[in-house]
Amino acid sequence: MFKYHPALPIPNGKTCVWLFLSTEIMFFAGLIGTYIVLRFGSTAWPTPHSVHLSEPIGAFNTFVLICSSVSIVLSLEAARKNRATEAKGWMFLTLLLGSSFLGVKAYEYNAKFSHNIYPWYPHSPVYEKADLQYSAAVRMRLGELRVETQQRMADDAKNDRLGEEEKARLQKEGEARLAVISNISGDLVEPAEKEMRNNPDSPEGLILLAKLANAVYHPHDPHNAPHASADVAPGNSPVQFASFQAEGAESEHEEGLNDRYPWLKLPIMIPGGGLWASTYFLLTGFHALHVVVGLIVFVIVLTLTLDSTKAGLIENVGLYWHFVDIVWIFLFPLLYLF
Amino acid sequence: MNELEPDTHEEPYDFMHTEHGGIGKYLAVFVALCVLTGASFFTYSSYWPFGKHVAWAFMMAVSCTKAMLVVMFFMHLLWEANWKWVFTVPASCMSIFLVLMLVPDIGMRQNNGYGWYSFDRLKYTAAPLSEEEKGKLKKDIEEDIGQEQKPLVSPTH
Repeated sequence: MFKYHPALPIPNGKTCVWLFLSTEIMFFAGLIGTYIVLRFGSTAWPTPHSVHLSEPIGAFNTFVLICSSVSIVLSLEAARKNRATEAKGWMFLTLLLGSSFLGVKAYEYNAKFSHNIYPWYPHSPVYEKADLQYSAAVRMRLGELRVETQQRMADDAKNDRLGEEEKARLQKEGEARLAVISNISGDLVEPAEKEMRNNPDSPEGLILLAKLANAVYHPHDPHNAPHASADVAPGNSPVQFASFQAEGAESEHEEGLNDRYPWLKLPIMIPGGGLWASTYFLLTGFHALHVVVGLIVFVIVLTLTLDSTKAGLIENVGLYWHFVDIVWIFLFPLLYLF
Repeated sequence: MNELEPDTHEEPYDFMHTEHGGIGKYLAVFVALCVLTGASFFTYSSYWPFGKHVAWAFMMAVSCTKAMLVVMFFMHLLWEANWKWVFTVPASCMSIFLVLMLVPDIGMRQNNGYGWYSFDRLKYTAAPLSEEEKGKLKKDIEEDIGQEQKPLVSPTH
């Protein structure tokens, strides 16, 4: 008598999920390995502070995912004991925790986007060096802004639907913007470019370019501040004043021009910033996609009655969700703490 | 009964229903995970007495421990049969070897204490070379070629 022995002592579904997970391990290993190698192979890497990365928020996200792993395991245990409502409750909690993870992630992404740090072109004006290409990009953006502001001022003046007071206010606003633009251009961009043209690659020229970069985006690291421009006294123009405003003070966030005038959105210089943005958004983006897929599956599973016949299904879903948690366990120290 | 028909009266998956320590074990693992997360965060605070590299090694060790806890307990692999090696070992091999093989190529392309790896890459790094580094580099190239290196293009940068 021959008995049928399955090749593996587990249901086919579980086998398939494990095979899928081993491919996912390789997928994320590729991405994480890329990050490790690139980050430790580059000469410059931004500090978390300079790219608005908050470690406590990352730790909170880790805690949320750990809790969701526990809750889905408890859901499985409840389903095995045929307690369908309890299983559904735990599953719903997992869904809530997963959604809150995504919500926190969205808040973090917003912190990057609002400072003009995007994954890649055309949105991301992150330059790795303060060189002539950077100053040219700043000059072009200022030119764009000038044209835009003048166009809008002309349109507002012709707009019959606005009252006189409103028109005067808008004109004043427009003029103030144009003043800021010409100040930046005159105080920061032009001296640097002139110096570089007259003495190519001179130290003075490079310092002026660095001053421009520092004024636009001032990623002051309280532990290790490079006070390169401390010898230059603040001038009278509000533009120069902005970059020295909080010099010396251990303030949470130093004001650069992009913060003081949010409509500016000038290109920013962060050493290692371009590579950082690419790898950060790649890793967290793919992870977030996996979380979204998991949440969709939870929603589908929540429509069923989670009794002991569904224990296998919940186990498989749980395996996927634990894997998502493990990936985040590795991502958190690599991205936030290294 | 036909010899080749599968015996559907048997339950081949009986052992899955046995309790393995129950909820208590899961909660203990949860507490351990929270403690470990706190520990990895501790290396980042100013109270960490050791250096940067020890901190990195510690953080990776903590991550691996947390991952192992989740894999063994939440994913139940501690109690599963030998098929677990078939799925996990090849994938882990790939992960580790991929990173190790890329380290000499990309991870150590700059100053790694063993010497400069590639002059071209060096030229286009984000940080400028100091005079001493430039001198060292020139000497290295001259040694390799055996004669003094004349610049092909007039040095404007």
